[in-house]
Amino acid sequence: MTEGALAPGAFRPETYKDPQLVAQLKERIAELATEIGRPVKLMHICGTHEHEIGRFALRDLLPESVTVLAGPGCPVCVCDNEYINMAIQLSLTPGVILCSFGDMLAVPGSIPLEGERRGDVRMSLLDARARGGDVRAVYSVFECKRIAEANPDKQVVFFSVGFETTVVAVAAMLKRGAPDNLTVIEANYYTPPATSLLPELDGFDIEGFMLPGHAVTITGLRVYEHLAERGIACASGGFEPVDVMASIVSLLEQLRDGKPTVANPYNRLVKYDGNEKAKREVDEVYELAPIRWRGIAEIPASGYKLREAYAKHSAARRFAGTLDEVALRGAEHPKGCRCAEVTLGQIRPDECGVFGKLCTPDSPYGPCMVSHEGTCRAWYVYGMHKERLTVEAA
Amino acid sequence: MTTETPSDVQNAERSAGGDASERLVTRYDSVRLSHGSGGKLTLELIEELFVSVFSNEPLRELTDAAIVENLGGRIAFATDSHTVKPAFFPGGDIGRLAVAGTINDLAVMGAKPAYMTAAFLLEEGYDMAELERVVRSMKATADEAGVAIVAGDTKVLERGHGDGVFINTTGIGFLADDVKLGVGYIRPGDKVLVNGTLGDHGIAVMSRREGLDLTVELESDVAPLNGLIEAVMQVAPNVRFMRDITRGGLAAVANEVVLRQPFGLRVFDVAVPIHDVVEQYSEMLGIDPLLAANEGKVLMIVPPGEAAAALGAMKAHPLGREAAIIGDIVKKPTGIALVETAYGTRRVLEMPIEEQLPRIC
Repeated sequence: MTEGALAPGAFRPETYKDPQLVAQLKERIAELATEIGRPVKLMHICGTHEHEIGRFALRDLLPESVTVLAGPGCPVCVCDNEYINMAIQLSLTPGVILCSFGDMLAVPGSIPLEGERRGDVRMSLLDARARGGDVRAVYSVFECKRIAEANPDKQVVFFSVGFETTVVAVAAMLKRGAPDNLTVIEANYYTPPATSLLPELDGFDIEGFMLPGHAVTITGLRVYEHLAERGIACASGGFEPVDVMASIVSLLEQLRDGKPTVANPYNRLVKYDGNEKAKREVDEVYELAPIRWRGIAEIPASGYKLREAYAKHSAARRFAGTLDEVALRGAEHPKGCRCAEVTLGQIRPDECGVFGKLCTPDSPYGPCMVSHEGTCRAWYVYGMHKERLTVEAA
Repeated sequence: MTTETPSDVQNAERSAGGDASERLVTRYDSVRLSHGSGGKLTLELIEELFVSVFSNEPLRELTDAAIVENLGGRIAFATDSHTVKPAFFPGGDIGRLAVAGTINDLAVMGAKPAYMTAAFLLEEGYDMAELERVVRSMKATADEAGVAIVAGDTKVLERGHGDGVFINTTGIGFLADDVKLGVGYIRPGDKVLVNGTLGDHGIAVMSRREGLDLTVELESDVAPLNGLIEAVMQVAPNVRFMRDITRGGLAAVANEVVLRQPFGLRVFDVAVPIHDVVEQYSEMLGIDPLLAANEGKVLMIVPPGEAAAALGAMKAHPLGREAAIIGDIVKKPTGIALVETAYGTRRVLEMPIEEQLPRIC
């Protein structure tokens, strides 16, 4: 473990973005890369990591032999069509107020957008709103509760998208008593089972995972021990530049020593066993069930479904009779969209044929270009697909 | 870094238009359809509210058009419509926004704003006391900028067909013959300046939106910039280009500057003044302050020899105390705005795509 000022335990708010500290960590990474002496591929699995890496152009600080790829870390991108289509259908049902995080509004499902001529363009919640649906952007599930209380004659549906972090607030709200007219679309995903799927893929050559700092604050690190047992290095990763760099240092140290483990450089927030209270509350309200990850697969025990005691708040159950089951299903990604491979880290965004052409942030084709957590969007917005920016001053 | 809202500006606002607690339109508590009918109630509203507060000769005449003196040269002419939610926010309101917005559009062209018109679209039932506050705030802002509001219009929309109040302002200003400003004058090596902290307005307004309700010790920067701009142009006569930084933030203006041009614009991340509170809330909400809205900020591109003088003039002005040189114009890459981080790495500063929303996690 790194000692002294570079030890993550020594990080303080005033040093989270400290250029000197980052420069020292950069040097440490270079030394470790030399000691390892072969190319190494690492992967993070959090959209916010990709966003911060882009915002600070941190990849430019890494030696050529160290590659950091983006994995399945965008809740918007992995959210299956079925839930998006369900949200769209419900928003167009009279008497329903559909509440969603802003990030989800522009994501197309698989219902074709009528009158659109650009190709395989599908409908999003924004399109539903333009067609008269009552779609509202909310910041938290507690806002939905207030909307439900203020509109007792309406059905309020919360499009509950997210990973193990976001589900905690929903569980807390439901446990403390939600109005009868409030239901949720159960699209919360649990990450650890998806990471065990990755090593099964053909050509998998990732040697270390930077674990998502927010998610492991809840779940703890024990759930990733299975990766270390398979010889893959793991380290929690925070989101400040020093945290990202320190996580890479930790992964490289494990690889140099040939001793993969689950390290915790983001220990100022993450406890090895996670947040016991949050886990308990989630467990009271939800149980793990199989769920489809958009364009990837159905993964066992990777989705949060409401337990029987809370089933009355399940939108899928409440509206079972009114939903058009056929329309819920459909081709997962539009033709030519390679979001699935991008999400799995199998290709870079700019290796997709529609990236930056048919698919741009102002006219997104696939989900990875829509969400702020999406890898394609981060690459486009921060210019990561461009050659390193060389400046010629006056 | 923190900014203080200049206390003289605040005081001017409070004292303008007489005692703000004194009601001017006494017969009605809210706007009625008849206030926009062109009849008796319209006249009453104009005389009791608009003429009484805006208070100037051309307006008092109540003619169909205002007659103003010959400005004697080229005239700059700008219009802007305003809607903001909520209409009152920390540090300002829609009235101040509507006046400052048009003044700033004129001022960045190098013009000296002189006269304005104000057109109101009011929703039936809109609170009359609130309308009075908006109108007084417009007057205070116009006074601050030395501009007279000389003509106007009022229409009332049926309840449910408006959102309280919409305001359009149109302004004219005098443009001296020797003013030469434009993207075409920009050269590599020129310096990029801003007159203070970025993102204050965007975060201040967002903090008061429904559903967020954050307690933020932060005020919008909304202000008329003609005084500051005039002061800078006196010491830096060869300013190449100016634009007020509004929606879309610095990122939008930087990209407008470089679009299809044979140069690039480089911003040094560490040089950009950002209010502590803006930085913290941006981090928390996942918002980039470089893309957040401003209403009292101008980006100036100045030849290197005049940059220090321009910066000094900004800092000497109450609306420019936190001014900074934040970047420069580079030969390459062309057509791109980029950010150089504290770590010596570089990223593209992309044109904003939509209004920024807080991220999921």
